[in-house]
Amino acid sequence: MRHTRLTAACIAAGLALLTGCSAASTGGSAAAGGTTLTYLTFETPSLTASFWDTSIANGEKKVPGLTIKKIVAPSTDRDAYAKQLQASGQFPDLLQSITPSTFATAGLLKPYDQNWVNANFMLPMGNAYKGKVYIPPTNSQIIPMVFYNKKMFAKAGITAVPKTWADFMAVNAKLKAAGMTPIELGGGDPFAASMPLVGILSADVLGKDPNWLQERYAGKVHFTDANVEAAVAKYRTMVKNGDFEDGALGVKYADSITNFTSGKTAMYMMGSWFLGSVPKANADDFGSFMTPTDDGSLVVPFAVGGSMAISAKTADPAKATAFAEAWSLDPANYKTLIEGDGAFPMLKGKTLADYNVNVTQVFKDSYSYVTDQNTKVSAFGWATNDDSMPSGLNDAFYAASQALFTSDDVNGQMAKLDAAWDAATK
Amino acid sequence: MTTRARPRRGDPALGTIAVVALGLYVLFILVPVIMSAWKSLTDENPLLAQSRFVGIANYTEMTHDSALAASLTFTLILAAAVTLVANAAGIGFATLLNKTSLSFRVMRTVAFLPQVLSGVIVAFVWRYLLAQDGILNHVLLSLGIIGQPVTWLGTPHLAMFSVGLVAAWVLTGFTTVVHLAALQSIPVELYQAAMVDGAGRWKRFRHITFPMLAPGTTISVTISLITMLKLYDIIAVLTSGGPADSTQSTALYIIQLAFTDDRYGYASAVAMLLLVVSAGIALTVTSLLRRREVEL
Repeated sequence: MRHTRLTAACIAAGLALLTGCSAASTGGSAAAGGTTLTYLTFETPSLTASFWDTSIANGEKKVPGLTIKKIVAPSTDRDAYAKQLQASGQFPDLLQSITPSTFATAGLLKPYDQNWVNANFMLPMGNAYKGKVYIPPTNSQIIPMVFYNKKMFAKAGITAVPKTWADFMAVNAKLKAAGMTPIELGGGDPFAASMPLVGILSADVLGKDPNWLQERYAGKVHFTDANVEAAVAKYRTMVKNGDFEDGALGVKYADSITNFTSGKTAMYMMGSWFLGSVPKANADDFGSFMTPTDDGSLVVPFAVGGSMAISAKTADPAKATAFAEAWSLDPANYKTLIEGDGAFPMLKGKTLADYNVNVTQVFKDSYSYVTDQNTKVSAFGWATNDDSMPSGLNDAFYAASQALFTSDDVNGQMAKLDAAWDAATK
Repeated sequence: MTTRARPRRGDPALGTIAVVALGLYVLFILVPVIMSAWKSLTDENPLLAQSRFVGIANYTEMTHDSALAASLTFTLILAAAVTLVANAAGIGFATLLNKTSLSFRVMRTVAFLPQVLSGVIVAFVWRYLLAQDGILNHVLLSLGIIGQPVTWLGTPHLAMFSVGLVAAWVLTGFTTVVHLAALQSIPVELYQAAMVDGAGRWKRFRHITFPMLAPGTTISVTISLITMLKLYDIIAVLTSGGPADSTQSTALYIIQLAFTDDRYGYASAVAMLLLVVSAGIALTVTSLLRRREVEL
């Protein structure tokens, strides 16, 4: 009898833990003589706690009477944590590098003064959502670039980087013939697994129709369209050709960086933030190019990121804005973002020299894709402007990327994406 | 010799404890469950202040949600397999460790360690062990068992197996301790009488140990099932539900729906489904095992 009661109690406790949500209310406060605002940040190996503390202290000095309370997201997924904070009534006053469209549609963000944005940034509308700027367009990324190991290319007898898709396939064949694995893939982390597809879809689909994502919102185009499936089939061909290592889905993102920089693989399709991980000692061994297209035209998959968004419900909008603007223009912050995170700065009228940075030649070469006149399209799934995908679609896209590593069912995976898109936007 | 005073009926101290316990239960368990049930009838989005009552629309949607079906299938198979393996292993370890010497007492503590450790830490350690260039592949390669590294976490079926392996390893600590406690409550006289009757080791296990473990097995199996049905932390760290959602448990799917897809209402409906499924399974299994106890 006793153990029956014990069992019943244990079952009840276990089951009850399955569900439940609660709400509370906190956030910034504006007391007489001073204001305390909350600021959601995140930490990476290059954006350390020390970086945030220093940058916050510098920002506070420029806004008298303001105290910033730092909140650190438990992972780099700021959006997910911001949603959890919102759900529990703790939406921060300031939110670093979130996806504005996700929160702006719910009226949670306060837009910046357009004149201030126009005066300070190279691409003022680079990350604007429905005509308003919710995060200052402080920096940009190319997602992905194709990084390559110059010594391995030379060893395989490759004298020039590929421009057309046929050239790219020939390069892969030469590398394999020389006993090398052509492309590194950190497929164990879903976002990293999607990089080749991001590159191919950006180049082939958005390169020919830059408005494709807007048209998908309007229901005019679909993932199951022939041109999209043809682009995705290129990725399947690469997998079947053995251009990636067999166990790539078991390789974590961090290990993929090490594998590539240590010369285990010849190429690496990754966001330009990888530039922060290029080893300084042999940085000249590495170069970069864009995902090749069928006709050799250059397409740059581009995403303008930014600093912090301001909550529409902040207790002190004036001080929140003053802090955000001060932080966003502080050259010291740019130095860390450029050197450690491979960010391409977007402040108007400045060159790399103005930030007093020590960057590699491959960084300078890659940055030229940003400053040059060329065909820039939204990086598929990474844009934070009107071309951003609906909530949840990125995860579906990542899952499809992983599935297509082992499955030939391109049409089935694309149909799933269409269904997920329709469900997310209904 | 002293005798412990029996609590008197109507003891105010006991009443206070009961009220506090009941209050905590209502506040932290019952109320959230009721709130979740209510939210499951709405289209609540964590980013929006307003939500609409949608009746049973979320429950209707579940009937043609292939991702939910896949996650539920994976969760049920995982729960059944891990419960079976962990309890079989637990009975085995408990039998081996049922000695009183110091070394066995130390080994018992070691056996319980996986259960004491955080699931997140355990998963991080196992992720390192199961990596492409991890220790497991190194050992298997050096022994000549495999010719090239196995992608334990990168192939859908192997990833499912790996999640089950880690979960079973963690749970075995718990099942070992529960069965050990049950073993130690078996009167020694039963074994002595059996030995006098000429029963060997296997017969003693089959006719005395195994039947007498029944009460422990009921608790162990039921708790194991519930633990597995709501498994989140180990999978989140080990595979994040991948590759290609192959190891996405229903608990993981609920979190994705709520905080990635912004579908709080639908996520709550799926949570309620998981609650009902878990309750149904737990009550059925408990009932069956209790009946077995009575028969024995």
